[in-house]
Amino acid sequence: MLPAGTGASLSTTLTALRSPDARLDSPADTGYPAGLSAANGYGFVDTRRPVLVLNDVTKTYPNGRDALKDVDLVVPEGDFVFLVGASGAGKSTLMKLLIRDELATQGTVILDGDDMARLPRRKVPIVRRKIGIVFQDFKLLPTKTVRENIAFALEVTGTSRRRIRPKVERALALVGLTAQAEQYPKQLSGGEQQRTAIARALVHDPKIVIADEPTGNLDPLISWEILQLLLRINELGVTVLMATHDADIVTALRKRVVALEEGRVIRDEIGGGYHRAG
Amino acid sequence: MLSFLAFSISRAWQGFWRNAAMSLAATATMTLMLLLLSGFWIIQAGFLASLTYVEDKVGVVADLHDNIKDSDRLDLMARLGAMPEVRSVDYVSKDEALQRYRQERAAQGQDDLTSYLPTNPLPASLEVKLRKPEDYRTVAGFLEVEPTVAKVQNIEDTTDRLVSITTFLRTFGVLLLAVIGSIVLFIVINTIRLAVLGRAEEIEVMRLVGASDAFIRWPFVFEGALVGLLGAAISLGVLVGAAEPLSQFMTGFFQILPINVGSISRDVTLLVVGAGTGLGVVGAWVSVRTYLIR
Repeated sequence: MLPAGTGASLSTTLTALRSPDARLDSPADTGYPAGLSAANGYGFVDTRRPVLVLNDVTKTYPNGRDALKDVDLVVPEGDFVFLVGASGAGKSTLMKLLIRDELATQGTVILDGDDMARLPRRKVPIVRRKIGIVFQDFKLLPTKTVRENIAFALEVTGTSRRRIRPKVERALALVGLTAQAEQYPKQLSGGEQQRTAIARALVHDPKIVIADEPTGNLDPLISWEILQLLLRINELGVTVLMATHDADIVTALRKRVVALEEGRVIRDEIGGGYHRAG
Repeated sequence: MLSFLAFSISRAWQGFWRNAAMSLAATATMTLMLLLLSGFWIIQAGFLASLTYVEDKVGVVADLHDNIKDSDRLDLMARLGAMPEVRSVDYVSKDEALQRYRQERAAQGQDDLTSYLPTNPLPASLEVKLRKPEDYRTVAGFLEVEPTVAKVQNIEDTTDRLVSITTFLRTFGVLLLAVIGSIVLFIVINTIRLAVLGRAEEIEVMRLVGASDAFIRWPFVFEGALVGLLGAAISLGVLVGAAEPLSQFMTGFFQILPINVGSISRDVTLLVVGAGTGLGVVGAWVSVRTYLIR
């Protein structure tokens, strides 16, 4: 029931979006520009708000290499998307564009109504709080306990101590680490460390969770555990975008799959496998 | 604002102790560098005092004619005293001159031959002290044309040489201090940069979870200030501890030179605390900035 989001009219509607008076976030708006929701190539009318829109995005690095080339991608709210492709296909660059670590050389990147290219520098942190990021190497701080690592995300964004505590408790409960809250990362298994990282990503109540090969360092059983957790988070209404190499997981879950190759989207299908044939 | 300040300071304190090895290494470097800086500062102060002491010796001595009227002499002294180049004018009478001469002879262990003379052969003189040795020519020229003056003792060449040497030494001292200052600046900033580099991951996480630049920067800036203040406190402790034995060792030196110990200790305290805090803050600011601007 999901749209591929690469309808013929995408470019034209998004061109309209670029005009200064275009608003994506007005309360009455479903978020879809008129043409897009009506003609998404599948014949459905998708009324869901897009959390993420990439239109004709090209990213050229200073060395002249095109890491991304003419990428169109729309991810509606509540979607679960696998991003697959070989190393160097452009997955990391795509992630960097979403968190505005890099800016697109060409085209538009819109996250929850904010055009990254037109976002003032001081607003960048606020947009990043709408994104929960999970990495292959967890990026936990070794000198802090599980609880402190999760609370850290709130502390450094100026949340008051009083409001931090319940949020952290809730995140701990969601990932099932309440009992391990006072342990340090190196006392935990890989799976527990990744769950800590996921709890940290969730503690801001993000619109979208971006996971960059979250199971890359974990054995298959633990990988499934992490996937279960991400699926549960998705069921709670959080959009999930997961870059992965794990063909078994992608093929088994039959979610939307976006495949990148040499910086281009070569496939975008719902219920797809890891490989084209699958 | 207040809670932000409390947050930054408590994070700085935490950061300092949770990375104790790196923080203490930075503090040790800071301390050594501040000691180097203040040591050179003190040497420089003594050096400048020595130069001033030597330059003070330069004066114009004018021998007066015998039997001039007291009123003429007083008039000349008043006019000299009014000149901007002149610091003080002393009158040495014939009797005083003879007495000095005899003392000098006695100090050299030589016979005093003046007692065999019927009259005192030494002239009365005016000893003019100058504000700056460079003004020697002006004052000497003024005195040479005075009718009451018999002769101006000529030390022009010596004065010129002295002035060129002291000018050179002063410039050299300032340059040396500037070089030492730059070395201290670069070493301290690099040390702090290393300490910040060791916590790149922490900064990375802060950026990714959406911490604003201020929330990332200020804890590090306060931590840098903490390193600076701690280094300054240790340096001052060392200096105070060393002051007593050192001043005993150099009593003779201090007695001769016109050194104002009070003002030097004040300057050094300000220098150590100011440089320590300033370097800590600037070092942290510059180091964190690398991670913020992208």
